[in-house]
This record gives sequence, C-alpha cells and structure tokens, in this order.
Amino acid sequence: MALDESSKLGWVLRHGTGKGYGWFRKGAKTKLRDLYSFSLEVSEEDAAVLNDLKERVKETARVWRAIEESKGACWYSQPEISSLSDSSLVSSLSVATLANAMHLKKLIRKGIPPSFRPRVWMAVSGTVTQRSTVPDSYYSDLTEAVKDKVTAATRQIDHDLARTFPTHPWLNSPEGHRTLRQILVAYSFRDSRVGYCQGMNYVAALLLLVLKSEEDAFWMLAALLERVLYSDIYSENLYGCHIEQRVFKDLLMKKFPRLAAHLDLIQFDVSLITTEWFLCLFAKSLPTETTMRVWDVLFSEGVKVLFRVALAIFKMKEAELLSTKHVGEAISIVQDTTNRAYDPDILLKVAFEDLGAMTMYIISEHRKKQQPAVVAELEERLQRVNSPRSNRPTQVLL
Amino acid sequence: MATTGTNHLQAKLVLLGDMGAGKSSLVLRFVKGQFFEYQESTIGAAFLTQTVAVNDATVKFEIWDTAGQERYHSLAPMYYRGAAAAIIVYDISNLDSFARAKKWVQELLQQGNANLVMALAGNKADLSSKRKVETEEGKAYADENQLFFMETSAKTAQNVNELFYEIARKLPKAQPAQQPAGMVLTDRPTGDRFAIKSTCCA
Ligand SMILES: Nc1nc2c(ncn2[C@@H]2O[C@H](COP(=O)(O)OP(=O)(O)OP(=O)(O)O)[C@@H](O)[C@H]2O)c(=O)[nH]1
Ligand SMILES: [Mg+2]
Repeated sequence: MALDESSKLGWVLRHGTGKGYGWFRKGAKTKLRDLYSFSLEVSEEDAAVLNDLKERVKETARVWRAIEESKGACWYSQPEISSLSDSSLVSSLSVATLANAMHLKKLIRKGIPPSFRPRVWMAVSGTVTQRSTVPDSYYSDLTEAVKDKVTAATRQIDHDLARTFPTHPWLNSPEGHRTLRQILVAYSFRDSRVGYCQGMNYVAALLLLVLKSEEDAFWMLAALLERVLYSDIYSENLYGCHIEQRVFKDLLMKKFPRLAAHLDLIQFDVSLITTEWFLCLFAKSLPTETTMRVWDVLFSEGVKVLFRVALAIFKMKEAELLSTKHVGEAISIVQDTTNRAYDPDILLKVAFEDLGAMTMYIISEHRKKQQPAVVAELEERLQRVNSPRSNRPTQVLL
Repeated sequence: MATTGTNHLQAKLVLLGDMGAGKSSLVLRFVKGQFFEYQESTIGAAFLTQTVAVNDATVKFEIWDTAGQERYHSLAPMYYRGAAAAIIVYDISNLDSFARAKKWVQELLQQGNANLVMALAGNKADLSSKRKVETEEGKAYADENQLFFMETSAKTAQNVNELFYEIARKLPKAQPAQQPAGMVLTDRPTGDRFAIKSTCCA
C-alpha cells in the first residue's frame, strides 16, 4: 500500500466561515488539513495552536534524528519500557540499558515525531518480538485463506468501510477501503471470539495512516487487543469495556471526590461519554495528533495511560464542571474540551504531572473488585430482555 | 427524563435501532439539516441537543444517538435510563432491522417508565424500490404497542422534523404541565429510581 507521503505535510490554509469542527462556536473559521490529512475547520485561535504544534513536531524530529545519529538506528528497540515497572526485570538490566530506557520513556512522553512512529511503536509495544515468533508469511497466508469467506463479521466490516472517517481522502479511496478491510477481516479470523467490533475500524484506520503498512497495522492492532488493552474489551457484551468504565469511575471518585459527587448529583454518568474514549482509544474524540501522542505513551507505558488521559480531561475542567447544574451542560463542556484539545502537551502534562500515582496494580485491583457487579448487571439485562413480555405498565413502584 | 420550567422543557431522548438503520442520520438531519451518504458509525453513543418550540413552549431535546451493533446493546440501559422519549429506528429496506426494532420496543416496554413517549420510525423511506417492510406492517406493530409511527427519510428530510415535533407535542401531555418552575416532577409514576434526585434548571 502506498499512502500519499506528501499529504502528511499538507497544512493547506484557507480562510472561511461557517460550521464545522466546533460548529457551536461562532466567529471566523479557518480551514486546514492536519498532519494526517484530516480536514478541519477551526477558530483562528485553534489554528494558531495547530501551527505552533507543527513547529514543535519539527523540532522533536530534529532531536530524535540527532539521538539516532549518536546512538545508532533502533536505539529504542530494547528493552520494552513497560517492563520498567516490573522491578525484578529492572534489576536484571545493566545501568546503561536502564538509563537508555528511562531516557526513551521521557522522550516518548514528549512525543514521537511522525516519521519515527512506525519503527518506535512497533519496537516499544513488543510487536516486533511478537511477530518474530510466527512465519514471515503469517499475514499473507491469513489474508489469502480468508479472502472469499463471508461471515457476520465480514458483513459488518463491509458495512463500516465507507463509514470510517469518511471525510479522509485516502481512507475514503478504494485502496483505503480495501486495505482497511483486509486488516479487519484478517483479525476477525485470527480471533473469532472478538470477530469485529465497531470501534476497531477507527483504531485500525489511524494505525494505517501512521504506519503506512497494512501488515504492520495488522500486527499493531493485534498487539493492542492481545497485550495492551484489557482483555474482552471488544468481545461479546463488551464485558471488558464495562469493567474499564467502572474502574474509571472508581478512579475519578478517588482522585476527585468533590467533582465525582457533583457529577453524581446532576446525574452525569460519565460512562455516557467515556465509553467511546476507551473503545476508540480517543480516535473519535481528540484531534489526530493529540490522539497519536496518547498512543505514543499507550504503547510504551500501557493501558493506565488511557485512565490518566481520561482523568486529565475532567481535571482540566474541574472548576467549570463543578458549577454546572445540568447534565447537558457538563457533557458539552467535556466534549468541547476533547474536540479542541489541539495542544497535546497541555493534556499530557496534566495526565502525567497533576494526577498523582496510579499504578497498574491499582487498576488490576479495581478490575477484580468490579467483576461481580458487571457480571450481575449484564445478567440482569439479559434476563429482563428475554423474559416474556409484560404489557405496558400503568403503575410502577418507585 | 423531562424537567420543566414554566414553559420550558428539557427532555432526554434516546435513539435505538440496528446498525446502519439511520439513527445518526436522522439526528443530524434534525439538528443540523445535513445528510451524508456515508455517515460515521457511532461508537457508544453521540450526544446532541436541539430546541424546538411547540404551542408557545420550548422543548430542549438532549439526544442520545446510540450505537447499533449487537454487542453494544449491553450499554443501552445507561442511555435510556431516565429518558423522556425514545425513537426506535429501522430501515424499511432491511427485514432484520425491523426484527431488531421489535426487540428494542419490548426492552423499553419492560424498563418501567410508563410515561416514556415512544416512536417507531421506518427510515430510508426514499428507498421504495428496495422496500422489505410494508408501511402497514410497521403501523400495525406500532398500534399494537401504543407507539406512534412514521416513515421517514433522513436523506430527503421526509417526516424528520414531523417526527421530532410530534414527540415534543406529546411530551407535555405525558407530564403534568402545571408544575411551578424549578420543581421536580416526582409525582408521576416512574421506574427511574433516580427520579427523586432529579434537579431542575430550566
Ligand atoms: N437512502 C437513505 N440512506 C440513508 C438514510 N438514512 C441513513 N442513510 C444511510 O445509511 C447509512 C447508515 O446511516 P447512519 O445514520 O450512520 O446509521 P446508524 O443507525 O446511526 O448506524 P450505527 O451508528 O452503526 O448504529 C449511512 O451511509 C447513511 O447515509 C435514508 O433515509 N435514506
Ligand atoms: Mg450512528
């Protein structure tokens, strides 16, 4: 597959007015394409942020190139940074390797330049290692073997191809559709228990735009589902997703009790909107480069990053949210915040500096704690839905 | 749930229905007057608002447009909990979507809010050459279950505003209209266990 290389550089600036991204805001709008060729219509203010970001991205690329020159290509390959939290492993590493890894972790938090992303993502997520355990022809064999098969999953995939970021020029081309289809179909056969879940299409699409290789995108998708994210996040009933939502609510309550209590008072069940964040890994909610910056750290540090970023979004608007009186108001504030989070550094600073400690251990404990409640909740609904129909009630007990 | 001011009503409205039936398209047509041949698939749910005026009262709809894929149905209770109205959408050119719509109707009938205003929308009415569900079938099912029924097209805008306005008109009837401003409607029978906590800020 060949993605238009020049497209990622296109910051075509054009002035205009009207509705578009952030259509609820009045005033002059600027039309532009972001680093990944998505067209945007933003306020002057946001356009300035985006332009500044573009400069910073260039600067980061210079830094990474300089390091590569001094340390050699692939200096980021070893070891998996996520293993740094595993103390037994850490002690087995040499001081030099460790220093290297710490340095890399810090650098990644500042953002991987787009040109380095393919190699770095594949390396730090352990995808390179995973792939080395199967024959080179694994992916082509798989796509060949399932080529003409029709299943419930392939039908749903076909239905969604043209509905996955339909305004993106490449994704919306026949080649884009074909490539996205192959990845999703192949994955649906690799793990038929997951099959295809809406949400995976957006994740796979962005992986493709960044990695520019169908096969790499397939393996990164596999890495995400099989190693990075909580298991069963996309499977039947979205069991894993229900768990993560409850864990997130626990963490919100723990970190920001006053805010959590207020949101509860106005009946804002945060999962109403955070569900999409966890299923699309912010691909549909945050601006593209901001999403990519979240993914940089997600691949290098693991799933706790999703919780940090989600908490950070609420933290950034804590004061405003505390003054809301109605759920609709609060939702608009949060959505406006995510839609316009054009500066990834602001969001990530809050996520990594203002939230205090949050270890994988804590998240695992919360997951365990929530399992029975989720099982019961899903069971309860199934029973209700499958029970013989009752007539429309005239009086219901409070 | 719907909360009232003197003549201002806020109503939570949820759309349910099969993947691709046209839920997002209906909402987008109603809220922004737009239609896209290729509408992004919804994940979880999308939230939009729109205010309409009926009989010198205004109704602000807080719309939850949910995801249609089967496995997302386990999330639905979160979105229909406390709703004042629901639109169940099917695609007239797709029999499965009609079967799915019936299941949604049954689920909503069992969820306990007796005053929920429910509408059944047979969407994509413009695709008459591909029709698989006859108008009479939709209408009969709706009558049987005391829903109101319309065939709509998000593409041509046929009956889209009518659908939402009809819901808006039915809402005040479902709630006692003479509540003093700022008061919470707890006297109406409801299965929503959070009803008492409900605050009003219209
Ligand atoms: N011809 C025709 N096409 C429609 C109509 N409404 C929607 N569509 C098309 O049907 C497809 C699905 O529409 P959506 O609005 O995304 O359907 P949805 O119910 O929101 O689907 P999910 O989000 O996947 O649950 C889109 O490509 C629309 O353009 C209609 O009234 N007529
Ligand atoms: Mg939709």
